[in-house]
Amino acid sequence: MSRLTEIEAMIARIALGDRDAFGALYDATSAKLFGICLRVLSNRAEAEDALQEIYVKVWHNAGRYQVNGLSPMTWLITIARNHAIDRLRMRRKAESRGGDMDAVTAMADTAPGPEALAVAASDSAQIERCLTELEPDRAGAVRGAYLAGDSYADLAARYDVPLNTMRTWLRRSLMRLKECLTR
Amino acid sequence: MTGAGDHHEDDTVLAAEHVLGLLEGEDLARAERRLESNAEYRALHALWTEDFTSLTDEIAPVTPPLRVRRAIDERLFGARREGLLRRLGLWPALSAAALAAGTYLVVTNLDLMRSEPVGPGLRAEIAAEDGSLVVQVAYDPADPDALQISRPSGAAAPGRALELWLIAGEAAPVSLGVLPEDRDGRVAVPEALRPLLAQAVLAVSDEPEGGSPTGAPTGAVLGAGPVTTL
Repeated sequence: MSRLTEIEAMIARIALGDRDAFGALYDATSAKLFGICLRVLSNRAEAEDALQEIYVKVWHNAGRYQVNGLSPMTWLITIARNHAIDRLRMRRKAESRGGDMDAVTAMADTAPGPEALAVAASDSAQIERCLTELEPDRAGAVRGAYLAGDSYADLAARYDVPLNTMRTWLRRSLMRLKECLTR
Repeated sequence: MTGAGDHHEDDTVLAAEHVLGLLEGEDLARAERRLESNAEYRALHALWTEDFTSLTDEIAPVTPPLRVRRAIDERLFGARREGLLRRLGLWPALSAAALAAGTYLVVTNLDLMRSEPVGPGLRAEIAAEDGSLVVQVAYDPADPDALQISRPSGAAAPGRALELWLIAGEAAPVSLGVLPEDRDGRVAVPEALRPLLAQAVLAVSDEPEGGSPTGAPTGAVLGAGPVTTL
């Protein structure tokens, strides 16, 4: 049985309330999902809380896995990424009201180090290749939206362009990305 | 380009924006509805999801600390599971005393939970953290209509009642009714709930006289314990 099929089988058993399968899934996948939480949230304590919520969601939603047509790791990673992004956005909202400098410092401290970047270079998925075909700041905007939960307003501010210009840019970039991905 | 082609292109970009989380307000609501109702859009959305997920390939796995796993288990499978199981270590002594007092029967006969013709009985101990309430529950498959209840310690507050709940997995608690006022008694188990017992957690909450008016626990949960096989 391949690893992906195994994970799929675990999810199916979890849907039936199998705690052992849940434990096995956690053992097999929690390090990957924790890595993603750390990357998105850049804060260890918050990443731990996020991971907790994510596996609670996995337990509750395992029964809905089959119908969405995603591969099992994609399904898990999407739950993790979406939850981490939601948290990050909430934190940003709170910070923009309260100006929490501690969190900003924590973010700077735990930015991905050279080790993580080396791993990044060694692994070249198709989307990575296609992103290199875009202008660097357009590719950066796509990454920012996926991995940092940047909104159009965030991106417009970062690249210092009007909101509608940002929208047009990014939509064009997404179209070009699709052309590359389907080549 | 034809209108249909434009439409497809629009959907392609819309699905990407949707997956990235760039849609807001009415745009987001419309996209969510489309995801529900339109198979083509759903396929586009799934493709983008797979593609963007690859952006996480470069993220190195990091083993989370053990406390995360423990916190998850606690949340999903009953509070302080280990503590409860440790407390259940008291059972041999309690059981002997209870048997001597004839408060419950341990008979292995037909077991509805398993396919084997003969199976074990079930038990649970529900205890408040401070020991102010202890409720012992036994289920004998040969006497499947009711749980035998023994309450060596604790009682309902004046004008209040103790209500017993069955919690199966992640389902909402189901009431098994108010505990008898006597220290020893029986609580009927509806036939539909019997197969759930073996995997369930039982809990006792403080409720108005006659039991929760809403069908869900309304007062404090005084204690909980997992059902174990005898």
